[in-house]
Amino acid sequence: MSTLIRHILSIGALLGAFAFLFAGAGQSIPLAQWDWVDIASEGGTALLAAVWCLIVLSSRPDGLVTRLLAGGLACIMLGSWADCLDEAIDVDKAALWDNALESLLPLGMLVLTVGMYYWKREQATLSDHMRKRERLFRSHRPFDRITQLADAAYLREQLRLESRRTDAQGCALVLFDIDEFHRINREHGQLEGDRVLQAVAHMLLLNLRNDDLLCRYAGDRFAVLMPGLGEPEARDAAQHLCRMVSSMRHHAASGRVRITLRHGCAPARGAPDALLADLCRQMDAA
Amino acid sequence: MIAWQPAAEPSIPARQQSAQALEYGRSRDARDADLLRDTGLAAGLDPDSLVSPSQYLQQLANTLRTLDSPDTSFMLGQLLLPGHDGAASHALAQAPNLRTLLQTLCRFHARLTPLLRPRFESWGDVALLYWVDAYGAPGIRPALVEMHMTALVALCRWLGGERLPWRFCFNRAAPRHVEQHHVHLGAELRFGCQLDAMLLPSSWLDRPWPRASEVAARLAQQAAAQEPLRAPGPLAALYDYLLEHVRVAPSLERTASDFGVSPATFKRQLLRHHTHFQGELDQVRTHVALWLFQVERADNDEVARYLGFHDAANFRRSFKRWTGLTPGPIRAALDGELGWFAGA
Repeated sequence: MSTLIRHILSIGALLGAFAFLFAGAGQSIPLAQWDWVDIASEGGTALLAAVWCLIVLSSRPDGLVTRLLAGGLACIMLGSWADCLDEAIDVDKAALWDNALESLLPLGMLVLTVGMYYWKREQATLSDHMRKRERLFRSHRPFDRITQLADAAYLREQLRLESRRTDAQGCALVLFDIDEFHRINREHGQLEGDRVLQAVAHMLLLNLRNDDLLCRYAGDRFAVLMPGLGEPEARDAAQHLCRMVSSMRHHAASGRVRITLRHGCAPARGAPDALLADLCRQMDAA
Repeated sequence: MIAWQPAAEPSIPARQQSAQALEYGRSRDARDADLLRDTGLAAGLDPDSLVSPSQYLQQLANTLRTLDSPDTSFMLGQLLLPGHDGAASHALAQAPNLRTLLQTLCRFHARLTPLLRPRFESWGDVALLYWVDAYGAPGIRPALVEMHMTALVALCRWLGGERLPWRFCFNRAAPRHVEQHHVHLGAELRFGCQLDAMLLPSSWLDRPWPRASEVAARLAQQAAAQEPLRAPGPLAALYDYLLEHVRVAPSLERTASDFGVSPATFKRQLLRHHTHFQGELDQVRTHVALWLFQVERADNDEVARYLGFHDAANFRRSFKRWTGLTPGPIRAALDGELGWFAGA
């Protein structure tokens, strides 16, 4: 919150400094000659640009893209503000500084455009990162905080979509449990348990196809939706994933922790709740 | 006079359950100010002080709300048992088999699980453990049940070295986050039941556990028995009292005098725990009727007579009021519930 207040204050200070500069350098135009439409449109542009600038600053982490976007918007804000002040205060038209200030508006648009270009490249990188963690649609809510994977609600939604599809292409659902995970939690503590979950999530992500979706079902149970695979191929893929995780070395503070997985597999057909309950029963029996 | 522990009186060592919940909240990036809001502990939790059950309840409610994650109650449960209550926790961890573990838990419940009172029953080939409110917390009761069931399941799994085939009944509608139940409890879940219970084939009760030592277990039990007994919460004490006197149709006046207070005070105290006498009595009578249906295979006439009703029709009407269902469908549901024992 305090950074937001700091941003608001610095924007206010900039606007105030401009007003001060104009008031000091020029003579005020009588109220009767003010063009209210111009003042409203230019002043409004300045205010809205200030709001956009604040939204960008408060919603994004600091970085090149954030600075370009916020800087561009700030220039637009100041350019419009200078225009607006021009309507109320008469400044010598020959003064270079006044023209320079008004040209902030096109300069800001240029900076904003460059920022947008880099934002697009950043977005492409993020989408690449999110692949295998989401499919078909983006929803910002259902993500697990520890592993940054989609949660069970998202998985059920995907299964529902899958069950509505009529084409012959198969789809398999695989569940993975970490063996003796409760013991890791008890003996090494919950923070170490969280690190194990993150390590397993990474290992699984690295070894999935681009079409697969990895979710954290709950606790130490992960779910992988494998579109286009029949049960035997999915089982084969699941065994490979288990081998990859068991060959991984996880180092806790008190020494090496062996991590192995067990899995259960079923075709992703029918009502999601019944399918998941059945597969969970299978996992408990394993 | 019956001993019980008022909710507002500090009785739980802060270094135990309360500190554990606080640490978990912190590990999930929550601020102390949010976790301890309205508890009166905002100045910081002194590990050597005592907290009252109502402060602990408020802290748990804050934690659930602040973390806003469906796994909070389950993760808190993972940490709860055997706990850090010296001899009682030690006796729990040293239990040589499930039967001793459950008996120990029920005996020292006021120390180990002060908010919910476990009750253990076993008949035929069924072992049943159900959870009764000790202080009344209607808002977070489902989360408390999840937490305590997870605690017991996790403890048994740790001591027994394997997953036990528990089956679960919940006195609530099916939740949205059923995946947490699947992973932390098991896949055999039934919602919309009359009580929050965990069932198991009784053949599991006496299987010796891998690390069990008879001598260590006996010593731990003796040490725990030496410690002063802590009184249960008012609702747990009332449940025990009503269960004992259920056949003589206990009245508010009589119960209040046995608890050593005036009826008006008693009423007020129950209200403070979000309940009333009739509600508690109806709950006990429901549980007893279910027990008679299932275990004694009693019919409506016999249950009516046992509970002091004039006739079966009267009982049937009351039962419908308590549970929303007549005895017939409930009996069928119970048979379905326990049918898997016959198959196993």
